[in-house]
Amino acid sequence: MAIRHWRVKDRYYRLIGSRCTECGAECFPPVYRCRKCGSEKIEDREMPQSGKIVTYTQLHEPLPGFEAQAPFYLAVVELDNGAKMLTQLVDSTDESVKTGAKVVATVRRARVDGDSGQITYGYKFRVT
Amino acid sequence: MYLMQSKERAAIQGYGAYVPYYRLPTTEIAKVWKGGGSGPNVEKAVAAMDEDTVTMAIEAGRYAMKMAGTERLGAVFVGTESKPYAVKPTSTIVAQALGQHHTLAADLEFACKAGTEAMQIVTGLVGSGMIEAGLAIGMDTAQGRPGDDLEYTAASGGAAYVIGRKDKKSAAVIDCSTSFVSDTGDFWRRAHERYPRHLSRFTGEPAYFHHIENSVNTLFKETGHKPSDFKYAVFHQPNPRFPVEVATRLGFTMEQIKTGLLNPLIGNTYAGSSPIGLAAVLDEASPGDKILLASFGSGAGSDAFCIEVLDGIAATRGVNPTVKSMMERSTRIDYSTYSKFRDKLHK
Ligand SMILES: [Zn+2]
Repeated sequence: MAIRHWRVKDRYYRLIGSRCTECGAECFPPVYRCRKCGSEKIEDREMPQSGKIVTYTQLHEPLPGFEAQAPFYLAVVELDNGAKMLTQLVDSTDESVKTGAKVVATVRRARVDGDSGQITYGYKFRVT
Repeated sequence: MYLMQSKERAAIQGYGAYVPYYRLPTTEIAKVWKGGGSGPNVEKAVAAMDEDTVTMAIEAGRYAMKMAGTERLGAVFVGTESKPYAVKPTSTIVAQALGQHHTLAADLEFACKAGTEAMQIVTGLVGSGMIEAGLAIGMDTAQGRPGDDLEYTAASGGAAYVIGRKDKKSAAVIDCSTSFVSDTGDFWRRAHERYPRHLSRFTGEPAYFHHIENSVNTLFKETGHKPSDFKYAVFHQPNPRFPVEVATRLGFTMEQIKTGLLNPLIGNTYAGSSPIGLAAVLDEASPGDKILLASFGSGAGSDAFCIEVLDGIAATRGVNPTVKSMMERSTRIDYSTYSKFRDKLHK
């Protein structure tokens, strides 16, 4: 099933994930089948915009298109509802980035297409 | 009568500011271009390389909606002169990120006063009953040509206002406003040009002072208000000197303008400048306080507002970070980092 374009944007702008109506588990990115109980009774759910760092790493040689931002932090963040996601950290000092540190979601430029100039926006997180 | 006043009063239901994390001390600019000293302001706020007017408008808009406790906006206006796209609205990206589709979205452009005219338009839409509430944003990532006087102050930041029908929850009522415009060639940027041009001798007297004095004096004349009626006054801040000078000429004291005078520490955030000054005042104001807000946009024009703080302001405390805390949460960068962030270096 193709996900409509603007639905994808809601995922990247607003953290629209999934909630299982059978067991209540929430997850991001969205799924068609609950990871916890296997139910297909899934609804859209906006994820909480805050959470904490579970683990992190600093990237010095990122993927093509992201070199100018290097070095930057990538972290696994556990949102307040328990959903875990991989995200870039911004505006955060080396001292502030640590396991357990509180983070909030922000929308930033993810990348700019070199030829067309199209800007892709998406979520990143910063330490509060 | 030149006064603009909606039949049903509209009010600020929530507001949110955004100041990016990075500061460029003006001594850094002077070191590179003038060989020493500093600029008129101490520092300016600089957006990170992955920030632009869209991302900063989303941040401020989210704060404003959270404070207002609203999920439905009948209008989203973004006033800016630093649109990420020359053709493609900023406001539609912001609207989608705020979860709004059935909404009147538009970008407004009027140099540094595009934010306040957004507030006037939303006030009109609410006051006429066409919409329940709308969002007015003034936000910019302003840039000056390297070494130009403008580079010392051109900064990033702004504020967003959810304006809705006045009720018990309202933080402040927008009582009335005036506007004054004329064809003045003080500052401009033609299509395909990267940096604006300005006529230094035109930016003060016939531009900034003439237009603000006209909008504010008209407001005074038609409402009967005088400077001493206002607890606070916020003027557009192209540098630290002009707002103090225009305040003095109009009869305001330093005491009235100091809370909203942010230029020395963040610079000129263009369309965001007077709106973020107002946000800093609302962070501290008490019910019953009157606030005079006057913007200026080159080209040229000024909007002046009479705003009165209401009991609902108490419930807004602590909902969002204050402007002061955003100004304090910062880190200093050097001129080379700033050049990289603001796309002044090309590989
Ligand atoms: Zn389940």
